[in-house]
Amino acid sequence: MTPLAFDWHALLLKSVITFNEFVIYYFLTLNTVYLLLFVVSLFEVVRFVRRTFFSDYQQILKSEMTWPISILVPAHNEEQGIVDTIRSLLQLNYGEFEVVVVNDGSTDATLERLIKAFDLRKTDRIYRRTLPTARVLGIYASLEVPNLTVVDKEKGGKSDALNTGINISRYPLFCSVDADSVIEENALLRVVKPFMEHPEEMVAVGGIVRIINGCEVRDGRVTRISLPRRALPVFQVVEYLRAFLSGRIGWSVLRSLLIISGAFGLYKKSEVMAVGGYDSTTDTEDLELVVKLHETLKKQKTRYRIVFVPDPVCWTEVPEKFKTLLMQRNRWHRGLLQSFSRHWRMLFNPRYGVIGTLALPYFLVFEMLGPFIEVLGYLSVIAAYFLGILNQEFFLLFLLVAVFYGVFLSIAAVLLEEISFRRYPGWEDLARLIWYSIWENLGFRQLLALFKVKAFFDFIRRRRRWGEMGHKGFREPAPASPPAGPRPPR
Amino acid sequence: MHTTSELLIQVLWGLGGVLTFLFLFIVVNKAMRELKERRAATLRKELEPRILEYVNGKGERLGPQLGHLGGFERSVAEEILLDNARFLKGTARSRITAACEELGLVQDRIAQLRHPRWWKRAEAAEKLASMKSPKAAPELIVLMHDEVPDVRMRAARALGQLDTRTSIKPLVEAMQDPNRWSALRIADILAGMGTDAADELVENFNTLPIKARVAAVDCLGRAKSLRAPGLLLRLLTDPDRNIRARAAHSLGLIGDPNFTPDLLKSLSDAEWPVRAMAAKALGKLARPEAVEPLARVLKDKEWWVRINAAEGLRSMGDKGLSALVGALSSEDRYARHAAVATLEGAGVVDQYVGMLASADEKEREQALSFIRKIVASERTDSLMQSAARHAQEKVREQLSRVLKPGEVKP
Repeated sequence: MTPLAFDWHALLLKSVITFNEFVIYYFLTLNTVYLLLFVVSLFEVVRFVRRTFFSDYQQILKSEMTWPISILVPAHNEEQGIVDTIRSLLQLNYGEFEVVVVNDGSTDATLERLIKAFDLRKTDRIYRRTLPTARVLGIYASLEVPNLTVVDKEKGGKSDALNTGINISRYPLFCSVDADSVIEENALLRVVKPFMEHPEEMVAVGGIVRIINGCEVRDGRVTRISLPRRALPVFQVVEYLRAFLSGRIGWSVLRSLLIISGAFGLYKKSEVMAVGGYDSTTDTEDLELVVKLHETLKKQKTRYRIVFVPDPVCWTEVPEKFKTLLMQRNRWHRGLLQSFSRHWRMLFNPRYGVIGTLALPYFLVFEMLGPFIEVLGYLSVIAAYFLGILNQEFFLLFLLVAVFYGVFLSIAAVLLEEISFRRYPGWEDLARLIWYSIWENLGFRQLLALFKVKAFFDFIRRRRRWGEMGHKGFREPAPASPPAGPRPPR
Repeated sequence: MHTTSELLIQVLWGLGGVLTFLFLFIVVNKAMRELKERRAATLRKELEPRILEYVNGKGERLGPQLGHLGGFERSVAEEILLDNARFLKGTARSRITAACEELGLVQDRIAQLRHPRWWKRAEAAEKLASMKSPKAAPELIVLMHDEVPDVRMRAARALGQLDTRTSIKPLVEAMQDPNRWSALRIADILAGMGTDAADELVENFNTLPIKARVAAVDCLGRAKSLRAPGLLLRLLTDPDRNIRARAAHSLGLIGDPNFTPDLLKSLSDAEWPVRAMAAKALGKLARPEAVEPLARVLKDKEWWVRINAAEGLRSMGDKGLSALVGALSSEDRYARHAAVATLEGAGVVDQYVGMLASADEKEREQALSFIRKIVASERTDSLMQSAARHAQEKVREQLSRVLKPGEVKP
C-alpha cells in the first residue's frame, strides 16, 4: 500500500486563489469606506464654507471673552530658523497670547540665537510642576517682548518639551506648534472658534497642515503659494489633501478624530493635564495624546468634542528624498502601532462609541493590516502567474479599476480643495495637481505600503528612531552660527 | 469569469465617466469663478469711486449717482458698501445705512431672512448686521427662533450690531434658555451694547440659570454699568463660588475704590478662585489699605492667589513694592519666591543691581542689603546672569562676591 501523497501543489493553488478572492473583497470594502468618508467630507466642507463669515473672526479678535492661548514651541537644534519662526508667531493676529519656546537640550546655538534676537534674560519665574519633566535649566524672559518666554531644559524629547511648556504656560488653552513650521496670520482666530462655540465640551481642535516646499517665505510668512517643482513633494501634496480634506474632516464629523497633527493643534490645558500630558514613550506623541483623551473622557462618560477644522493653516516642510520619507513614515506607522497596542481594549468596545466600533477597527483593518494585504496581494499575483493560474484579462481589468478608483479619490480631494479653500490659485498648479493625482497611484502609494510593512517589523523588533527631516530649508539663509556640536537623531 | 470581466469593464467605464465629469467640473467651475471675479473687479473699479464720494458727503442720495443697477451690479455695490462699513464710523457709517435702505438692499435681505435654505437666512442676517438698519430689528427678533443654531446666533449678533433698545430684551431672554443659546456668546454681544444692556441684565439677573449668571456677571463688569455694583457686591456672598469669583473680578474692572472693604473680606473666602480674583481686583483698585492684606496672602497655600497678590502689590506703586521687598524676608518660601519673581518683572531688582555702581556709599549699602535678601530667598537665576553679563565690571565683581558659592542654596 503506497502512503497517501500530500498534494502541496493543490494546496498552494487553493491558497493563492482564496487569497486573491479575499483581496478583491477587501478592496471593495476599503474603497466603500473611502467613498463614504469622501461623501461625508464633501457635505461638511460645503457646510463649513457656507457657515463661515469674515465677521466671525473679527468678533473673536475683538472680544474680551476670547480665550487667551499659550503657543508652545518645542525646539531641538533649530538654530537655522528658530528666530524667524518666533518672530512670525509673535505677529499672529490674535488678542491675548504668549509664546513659550522650549529648548530641549539643543547642542547647537538655538538658545544663543534666541537670547540675542529677543534680548532675553534669565528670570526666577515660578511655576507649578504639574507634569513630571526633565530638569529645567533656566527660564528666560524678554524685556522687549513681554509675551515671550524661553525655557532651557535638559534633553527629554518632544513630548517632554511640550509637557514642560504646559507646566510653564499661563493660559487655559495651549497650541502646539513645530519649530520648523509656519502658522498663517489668522490661524489662531480660526482654530479657537470651535472653543468659543462650545466652550464646555471642546477639548481639542486640529488645523490643516499644508506643504511649504515650493512656496515663497519672507519674514516667517508664506508670501507666494505654489507647488513644489520636484515630484516626491507634489505626491505628498496630493496625499495630504486627501488625508486632511477627505479623511480627517470625515472622521471629525463622525466624532472619531484620532489624530491632531503635532505641527498644529489647540488643546484645553486642564484636560491634557488630567490625562498626564504627552507620553514620551511613543514615537507619535500627538496621536497617543488624542487617543488617550478619547479613552479617558469616554470612560468618564463626559460630553466632549475633538474636532478638525479645515481652514486654519500650518505650513510645513516635507521630505524631498526617499530615505527621509522612509524614516518619517516609519516613525508615523510605528507610533500608530504603539498607540494601538496600548489602547486595544477600546477595539470593538461599544463603551467607546463610534471610536471603538468604527474608527479603531478601521485603523486595524485598513491602516495596520492594509499594507500587508497590499504587498501580499502583489506577491500572490506573481505566484499565480508562475503557477499558471493567473487570469491575465481579469488581473489587468482589476488593476485598472484599482488605479482608476485611486485616481478618483485623489481628484475628489482636489475637487474639495477647489470648491473650498483654493490655496493653489494658478492654472498650472491645478493641472499639475491633477496630473500627479493620476501618477500617485502608479508607484508612490505602493511605496508607502512597503514603508509601512518595514515599520511593522521595526515595531516588533522595538526599534525606535526619530530620523532627521533633512530640511532643505524654505527660509532665506541665516547668518553664520557659532560652532555647534553634533546633531543627534531624535 | 467572463461575466466578471464584463462587470469590471462596466465599472471601468463608470469610473472613467465619473473621472471625466470630475475633471470637467473642476475646470469649468474654476473658469466660471475667475470670469465672475474679473467682471466683479471691473465693475468695482467703476462703482467704487462714486460710492466713496457719496459716503464722504457728496449728494443727498446714492441712487441718482449710480443710475440704474442690474442684479449683478447691485450685488457689487452692496459688497463695496459693506466692505467700507467695517472701517467707518459716525456720519459716513450712517450714510452707508441710508444708501442700503435707499437701494432696497435692506428690504432684499429682510426678504431673504425667510429663505428656505438656512445658509441664505444666515447670510441675510450677517449682511443686515453690517447694514445696521433698525428696520431689520423686528424680523431679526423673529429669526432668533429659527431651528438652525447658526442662524439664531447670527440673528442675535445682528441685533447686537443694531444696538437698539428693542434688541436688548430678546437677547436677555435668550440667556434664560441655556438649551438653545450659548450664554457666553450672548453675554459677549450684550457687553458690546453698553450700559442699557447691562441695566436690563441687572433687572433680569434672578431669572437667569446659573451658567448664564456667571456670563452675565462678566458682562456687567465689562459694561461698567452704574447700576451693577449693588448687585455685584451682593454676589460676593453668593453660594456659588464661580459667581463670587467673577463678581470680585467684575468689581475690579469697574474700579470704584469704595469696593475695597468688601473685596478685602473676599480675600479670606474659603474658596481659592474667589481669593485669587479678589486679590486681582484689589490690585486694580490700588488702595493703600489693601497693601498689608495682600502681603499676607502672599503666603496663601494656592499658587494663583499668591501670584495675583504679588501682581496686585506690584501695581500699587511704592507702597506695594515695599511690601514685596518686605516679603523677601518672609519665613514662607512661596511668599519669598512670588516676591522675587514680581520684583524682577517690575525692574526693581535691576534698579538695585545698577545702584551697586553708585558713587554714594549709602546707596551701595542699600543695594547690597536688598541683594542679600534676594540671595537669602533662594531665587538667584537673574542675579547670576547679571553677575556674568552686566555691562559694568564693578557691578559684576560685587554681585559675584555676594553670590559666592556657599551663600547660594541649590
